[in-house]
Amino acid sequence: MLAFLGRRLLSSAVVLLGATFIVYMLLSIALDPLEELYASSAPNREQLIESRIDQLNLDTPAAIRYLMWLQGAAGCLIGQCDLGTSWVTGQSVTAMLGSAFPATATLVSVAIVVAIALGVTVGIASALRQYTGFDYGVTFMSFVLYSLPSFWVAVLLKLWGAIGFNDFLADPVISPQAVAGISLIGGLVWQAIVGGAARRRAVTFLVAAGATAAMLTFISATGWLLDPSLGPVAIGVVGVAIAFGVTALSAGLRNRRALHSALTVVALGLALYYPLQFAFQPAYASGLLMVGLAVVAAGSGLLVGWLFGGPDRGQSMRGAAITAVLVGALIAVDRLMQVWQLYSSSSRVGGRPIATIGSQTPGLSGDYWIETMDTFTHLVLPTIALILISFASYTRYSRASLLEVMNQDYIRTARAKGLPERVVTVRHAFRNALIPLATIVPLDIANLFGGAIITERIFAWSGMGTMFITGLDRDDANPIMGYFVVVGMMLVVANIIVDLVYAALDPRIRVNA
Amino acid sequence: MKIRRIGALGAVVASSALVLSACEAPGGSELVEDTSVAIGWNQAFYSQNNLTSTGNAAANANILYLTNTQLFYYDEGLNVVRNEDLGTYEVIEEDPFTVQYTINEGPTWSDGAPLDAYDVFLYWAAQNDQWDNVAPEYDDEGNLINEEEVEAGVFFDSSSPGANAISQIPEISDDGQTVTFVYDQPRSDWEVVLQPSPVAAHALVDVALGEDDPAVAKQRLYDAFANNVSEDLGPISRAWNDDFNFSSLPEDERLYLSSGAYVMTAFEEGQYLTVNARDDYDWGPEARIESVTVRYSEDPLAAATALQNGEVDMISPQASVDLVATLEGIDGIQFQGTAEGTYEHVDVIFDNNGPFDAASYDGDEETARLVRQAFLLSVPRAEIMEKLVRPIQEDAVVRNSHNAVPGAPNYDELTENNGSDMFSEDDEENRQRAIELLEEAGVDTPVDVRFLYGQGNVRRENQFELISVSASQVGFNLIDEGDVMWGARLAQTTTYDASLFGWQSTNTFALNSQANYVTGGVNNFGGYSDEQMDAWWDELAVNTDPEVETELLIQIERQLFEDGFSIPIFQHPGVMAWRDEFAGASTIPLSPTIFWNFWEWDIDPEDSIEITEEPLDEADTEEE
Repeated sequence: MLAFLGRRLLSSAVVLLGATFIVYMLLSIALDPLEELYASSAPNREQLIESRIDQLNLDTPAAIRYLMWLQGAAGCLIGQCDLGTSWVTGQSVTAMLGSAFPATATLVSVAIVVAIALGVTVGIASALRQYTGFDYGVTFMSFVLYSLPSFWVAVLLKLWGAIGFNDFLADPVISPQAVAGISLIGGLVWQAIVGGAARRRAVTFLVAAGATAAMLTFISATGWLLDPSLGPVAIGVVGVAIAFGVTALSAGLRNRRALHSALTVVALGLALYYPLQFAFQPAYASGLLMVGLAVVAAGSGLLVGWLFGGPDRGQSMRGAAITAVLVGALIAVDRLMQVWQLYSSSSRVGGRPIATIGSQTPGLSGDYWIETMDTFTHLVLPTIALILISFASYTRYSRASLLEVMNQDYIRTARAKGLPERVVTVRHAFRNALIPLATIVPLDIANLFGGAIITERIFAWSGMGTMFITGLDRDDANPIMGYFVVVGMMLVVANIIVDLVYAALDPRIRVNA
Repeated sequence: MKIRRIGALGAVVASSALVLSACEAPGGSELVEDTSVAIGWNQAFYSQNNLTSTGNAAANANILYLTNTQLFYYDEGLNVVRNEDLGTYEVIEEDPFTVQYTINEGPTWSDGAPLDAYDVFLYWAAQNDQWDNVAPEYDDEGNLINEEEVEAGVFFDSSSPGANAISQIPEISDDGQTVTFVYDQPRSDWEVVLQPSPVAAHALVDVALGEDDPAVAKQRLYDAFANNVSEDLGPISRAWNDDFNFSSLPEDERLYLSSGAYVMTAFEEGQYLTVNARDDYDWGPEARIESVTVRYSEDPLAAATALQNGEVDMISPQASVDLVATLEGIDGIQFQGTAEGTYEHVDVIFDNNGPFDAASYDGDEETARLVRQAFLLSVPRAEIMEKLVRPIQEDAVVRNSHNAVPGAPNYDELTENNGSDMFSEDDEENRQRAIELLEEAGVDTPVDVRFLYGQGNVRRENQFELISVSASQVGFNLIDEGDVMWGARLAQTTTYDASLFGWQSTNTFALNSQANYVTGGVNNFGGYSDEQMDAWWDELAVNTDPEVETELLIQIERQLFEDGFSIPIFQHPGVMAWRDEFAGASTIPLSPTIFWNFWEWDIDPEDSIEITEEPLDEADTEEE
């Protein structure tokens, strides 16, 4: 294992070294830091050119400049990083990375989680409904999304998601035609997902369409979008639905203890709704508190499950913990919604809450909730843009992978010995279907870090991609090299992680070869 | 535990909580508000010191214009307007040419220290090269070989010809309000040579030497320059070069002291920079808007969408036909094409044995001159304007002067008399005239012309196509020498015969472009040389009378057109756009462009979409 790691690291280091050399040489050919000076009619132009040549050592061969750069970069190994400075701004590259990397991390982390969750869910649903209208619909949609250029998606999102939605908020009344149309589509989608015989489909269609229509009418009639809230009632209804859903997937509804422990934590959550409002006061609220509360929620879920006892406590505990965290999140979301009106009507936001550029509203001096809301309104569009890119591939991978697993002999065996279909799917098929996915995810994350260039530029998000592209624009090689080193290292590390994960998940593979 | 018991417990907790919440609602969220505008810009601020070669950029100059007071500024008609609320300057003696700057009592930096003559003194001293005793030197491997000297020595990374024209140490009056500069010889642009320094003199000394008493610090600064104290000047010069660069709000307030209408209050790296109005500021035009935020976004179309979405109130992104089309489709905003500070022109080479060199015609100057004129006449300026410039800037005009920006005070007088009328507005007429000139010259056609321009620049590529087609009708065969590294090739005049590129203007004084025309000038790539021309420029350099300057320029440009030196084409077109709620949008071709009149900016107080209901009390929402 260690030998394997050592060998992989060593070979990766050699690859990185070679790659940085090639990139450095290419940059030295492609970029001309003197270009802007040529158009200058300044009387002391010669002097300016002279001093820039001196400053950047342009009279030294590029290969030697690379060695000098490498010397500084090698300092990173002993904790004295010197990746050079940007000659345009005089800022050190390590400082630039220090601000760019967290920005990109914020941007892509939500997108990665949501894309994986959504992509895998939809992929599995479509695999289980293979060759139905739903399956074909998902396949069609994922190919459409896959082939959309991200800059175009970003522009459309801004047009509809930001400007359109913000205009709509000025008078948030949904026309009856729109209600009818959306309900119709909603009903069709749901009946396709649920499937079954014609009668069941018809019922599903009617229920789903009716529920959608009722919800939209409620939202439109009460101006809910201007001052949204969930309140204990909605949290209770959604919480019970979560309890049933989580239990159905994790333990099966026939496990009454599991169901009851999940329902109990929902009741507990509702009971704590008002006391939590005190804990959520701006004076106390912080990211740390939220994490702490989530841990407490999970802990109390475990406790409730344990108290219910029974032969299979683990299942109850797990289900209750998941339910508790989700209900807790609902209550937090409800609190967040309470600042929506205050936020969107503030003079800085001016009634147009969804933002198209940047990562925060300048000059908005608010508490934790307002800041969180601000981050959300700035993150929502770029995140959707990123999700649409990776969502499609996750759908395809998880569908293909599950279909393959479902045809394996051990699935037939599991069915033959009389296991319920839920257990067969969730425990036997789903887990094994995740193995190939686990090998894609690390590479995808590394790629997102380097590849969010277009999204970052269009949404004016000053992360890694912006650092790279402005470096190119301004003939500034050092930031580009800094970007390249970080992204290159992430890819190398992701590759090693893929190997390890694969070995850990699939017992047929060994890494000590 | 029984489920029922838990349920009961839950019910008790819930009901008690309800009772509690009725007593007092938990603290709600609150916001602080003020009047503000947001301006979109493409590059982030990075240096408080825009006098160094690193810090010299529009991104810095714009912000410094808001935060630093000026002795003069350019108005919409490109007239120099003096700010007498801050101080005055006047020529007190013609021989030797002596200028006195007097700062009024009252102006202060944002830390409370007075702004005075020492700040003007620093502006000059840092840009005067007489103290720079060491330049970094490198060996073949690029290692600094004189590191110790550089560490110990003095090197201000700032230089200006104006400051270098004053070599005598200026005198500062005892009260510190007046400083008197003696020029080595008169200078036509003396009025724009000096300003208060963007970096406060006392802050610089404090940062460099740890001297925190402003009065002592300023005296020490003066003495260090006057007596050439290198142990003080060394640290001061290094602080000047490096310490005032930052890309987010520094903790050290000394690094961003303001002397003007606004002071920097927030600066988020790569995102935005906010300045807030100073309450005590009354030594110059006062701002109406309490806080100005400059938001950064590189992408022009993203800037347009942000404008549409109300996130910024005014933008001036890189112009393109796409951008104009996008702006046309947006309701609630206004936009206009603008002229920028750079102008496009075609130059020819006089001394490379090419088609424009008399040496190619056995030294026959007249033939070469006719060929040059014919070539310049074949540039289809009207077509270029119609196809490439007016789609962006509807009211764009052909530039007819080598030295004056259209809209400058002397532009009209100049262009009426400088012989630019030899170029007709009609391309076809120009081509006919060019054909006649070529016949008169009696050269064999087609004449091969190697044409250099910036490859990868779409507009220049398109211009080349248009010029190439037009010139071929006249009898020139253009050879495409488009090059990504066009800048480096400008000086290699043996590799091309004609070039297309832009010159940028930084002020309205012709002296700025002297080096383009005089014999051996650093920007005179074509090798043009004319004794009369050199004499005129020598005269112009020391002349301080604007009338005489225009007279001289008329003669100079007449000669330039006559000799077929080059042809100016157009001022680079830009676009600015603003929301209907925003008032006072205006721009000038010179720095600080759209920021020049920030004191006239205003924002409609109703600048937000009315929410139909009053914001609800937090307590009410709780109990619903």
